[in-house]
Amino acid sequence: MRLAILTAAALVAAVPAAARDLLITIARPGNLYVFDAKARELIADCDLGANPSPGVIQMSQDGRIAYALVNRWEDVVGIDIQTCERVFFARQSEEGIKRRSIGSLAVSVDGTEIYTVRNPVRHLIDRYEVMEPELAVYKTDAGLEAQPDRMFPAPRRSTLMAAGDGGEIYIAGHDVYRVDPQTGAIEVAIPNRSWDRPTYSGPDVLAFWPQGAQNDQFMLLYTAAVFTDETQSEMADFVWGQQTVNLATGETEIADFASFEVLMFSGIRNPQAPNELYGVYTQLSKHDLATNELIKRVDLPHTYYAINIASDGSEVYVGGTNDDIGVYDTQTLERIGEMRVPSGGDMGTSTVQLVTVE
Amino acid sequence: MKPLNEKAARVQAAVAEDKMDEVRAMQTVTAGCATTLDPGWEVDPFGGVAALCQPMEADLYGCSDPCWWPAQVPDTMVTYPDWNADAPNAARDWRSLGTVFPDDAST
Repeated sequence: MRLAILTAAALVAAVPAAARDLLITIARPGNLYVFDAKARELIADCDLGANPSPGVIQMSQDGRIAYALVNRWEDVVGIDIQTCERVFFARQSEEGIKRRSIGSLAVSVDGTEIYTVRNPVRHLIDRYEVMEPELAVYKTDAGLEAQPDRMFPAPRRSTLMAAGDGGEIYIAGHDVYRVDPQTGAIEVAIPNRSWDRPTYSGPDVLAFWPQGAQNDQFMLLYTAAVFTDETQSEMADFVWGQQTVNLATGETEIADFASFEVLMFSGIRNPQAPNELYGVYTQLSKHDLATNELIKRVDLPHTYYAINIASDGSEVYVGGTNDDIGVYDTQTLERIGEMRVPSGGDMGTSTVQLVTVE
Repeated sequence: MKPLNEKAARVQAAVAEDKMDEVRAMQTVTAGCATTLDPGWEVDPFGGVAALCQPMEADLYGCSDPCWWPAQVPDTMVTYPDWNADAPNAARDWRSLGTVFPDDAST
């Protein structure tokens, strides 16, 4: 699932035509920013025209359109990153009914459809009525007053989503679900709540940052207690693990890789060395999934939520929280650069997406 | 001793029924918006404070805007959406963040 966009005058500037990585993120007061990652240069500053929270971003397959959850989980906006033109907008709530999508946003690989899981709540004069969650399918050409093309029941407490090459979508929730957006059929792709690990507690999964799709990865980190036996009376360890869906093939894997020593809010695997996993929070950690060894860990100047990685695997980018994106060498974990968002506004929970363009 | 709320009453009942082993303090459990008072800036998953976000301002909007911590700061999702509108950078602008009070129409 390689991403490529056509060379455009607005983006080329003085840089020779060659594959390069773009970082896309959102910051206050309401901006979508595009950086040339290796050049450390800002190349687009787009007005979202919306409240930036939560700033969950998914990129179209061709790398041109950034879709984002904005307006406090309620709305979806699509921005052409070459022109900053708003090309899509879906107001999900309606009079009397609030609909929020808690990170649930995906774009089909063919670029024709957008998926959200919406959580409707009817506001009555004396109470709230919690309604059934719904998978909404929008056409990307539905314009600026988009309404769902079709709807299906969805799992309650859904968070992140991703789209697979085969047209299926994945939803993180109590389990990681595989959903057919044509029929609404749901199956478990990776068991979480229902996993068959009698010596484990249930997993705790923080799924907030949808990063890695450019490398065909939908990866979530989990923590869990491991007990000495099935009576679960004595704890042997508390572990980190990763669960990954290969978005090209649909293959899944789930495995522990380290003891729970530090927090990590999000992680990314190296596309050039998939055994390397980088996790970020107040530390940046590099793990080897083949040996389950911690290769290196460094303290960061402040906490970061989000992480992404260069297409050549040479450096990682940590962002979210404040107004800077830190650049770290993947071999040494030394800080080798940074980019600041011009507004000086916080990125908060925003995603740091990466696309490779020609 | 008289319980002041339902949760305290249930703890008292657990003592009476010798079921205190089933009572779990939620100090290390984050359960998300509006279902509990998240530990927020008070305690981390290890029961200490070293693993909280550093500094607190790095975490402020990431937690308050998506309503992760509903109680310690004004609710910017529903009730006070503009509480931090004039403070785009929490680390720099935190002095601009004030206390809020319900207006007459809300009381």
